[in-house]
Amino acid sequence: MELSAPLTVNWTLSYACNFNCRHCYSRGQTRDELGLGDVMKIVDELADCRVAFVNFGGGEPLIYPHLFEVATHATSRGLKVSMNTNGWKLDAEAAGKIAKAGFRSVGVSIDGATAEVHDHFRSRPGSFEMALKALENLRDAGVDSTVSAVIFRDNVAQYKQIVEQAAERGVSTVYLHNFKCSGRGMENREALDLKPDEWKAFYEDALKYREDAPAKLAFDDPIIALLGEAEGGAVKGSTCGKLSLHLEPDGDTTPCGFIPLSVGNILTDGLKAIWKDSDVLQKMRNKEPKGKCVGCDAYSECLGGCTARALAVTGSFEEPDPHCWKSDGTESA
Amino acid sequence: MGKTERKLERNPELVWRDEPDARQSIVEGLEAGEDVAGRGWVIIVDSGTIHQLNLLAGEIWMLCDGTLDETGIGEKLAETFDAPVGEIVEDVREFVNECLEKGWLQIKEA
Repeated sequence: MELSAPLTVNWTLSYACNFNCRHCYSRGQTRDELGLGDVMKIVDELADCRVAFVNFGGGEPLIYPHLFEVATHATSRGLKVSMNTNGWKLDAEAAGKIAKAGFRSVGVSIDGATAEVHDHFRSRPGSFEMALKALENLRDAGVDSTVSAVIFRDNVAQYKQIVEQAAERGVSTVYLHNFKCSGRGMENREALDLKPDEWKAFYEDALKYREDAPAKLAFDDPIIALLGEAEGGAVKGSTCGKLSLHLEPDGDTTPCGFIPLSVGNILTDGLKAIWKDSDVLQKMRNKEPKGKCVGCDAYSECLGGCTARALAVTGSFEEPDPHCWKSDGTESA
Repeated sequence: MGKTERKLERNPELVWRDEPDARQSIVEGLEAGEDVAGRGWVIIVDSGTIHQLNLLAGEIWMLCDGTLDETGIGEKLAETFDAPVGEIVEDVREFVNECLEKGWLQIKEA
């Protein structure tokens, strides 16, 4: 089913951030920021188009000065609001404001089971302890929390500890994100990214672990369709442009935060028109297999894997996901 | 007439959305003799998984507004689809029971 509007909008209100993470897709990006009046108009547009979920990312949302006003308006219009934060500014007072604004959940980034790994990755000493404390503050304020962990070379061996530490702090879901190769992630790809066979081994292990894990695990990586697993249920392959869309600070829209291609401005073009008419989105929804995807027996399930990663590494939406461990239709040794 | 003790309503915590254009496309496909059984027009998001309801299930879903029970819903749909009430009520019961089990629907308190 082709939707009339995205189900989820991931919204970067600002690229301002107090961290300088080694994998960040957005560090170094700059955009004009809209005034509060226009931001509120966008909230109304999202609600009028019956978008279900709005997730604030960034940049660091807790730095954005109008976050709670925007979130309060969004929840009052029936939108389910969440955000992803590094947790640095999420003290007890902020947690109370989050609860009052009606956030459905808050995701805290934790990219290591130790301060050594997390702080180095996030380039901010003390950030690991602050992130754990943020989870505790959310729990104390009665806000549902999740953890987002980007899997990379230095933390892949300790992902179970990340899950356990999160569960101990009342976290409902841990997102084990795949590495995206965008922005600084592309610059540091050699040092951070896993090889395709290492991704396969990780997913095999994590899918087995998921059965008895102390928190729910989610992966958001279409490549796991190669292992007979699929998440979401409504679409195959990447969900960006099919279920979700990304909003930039100036109102431009992109298929996802990792694909820096504007497909229109929500204030001037309107969300439904962008969603329906964008050539880029249509192309993403109707990918044609290329390279080793041609003739691969898994293509109908994975649809080439992560579109953002393929674009970042090869320059084409339709090329195979560089994380794919299959070779010419057969698994590599 | 519907029994007042079993009026059905959607779980207000559940996220869902109907897609009228998709419904129209299914109806046109049905009229053209296409197999539309697997095509959805109502989406439900439950625990991170997205479910689609087909034409009949979607119609039942939309009627679960707290004013009707299974029989009342079946009677309305029988009118819409010009079909025997008895058969439709059975389909309604099956779908409703499944939704009650999943927590998608609930019995409205009197």
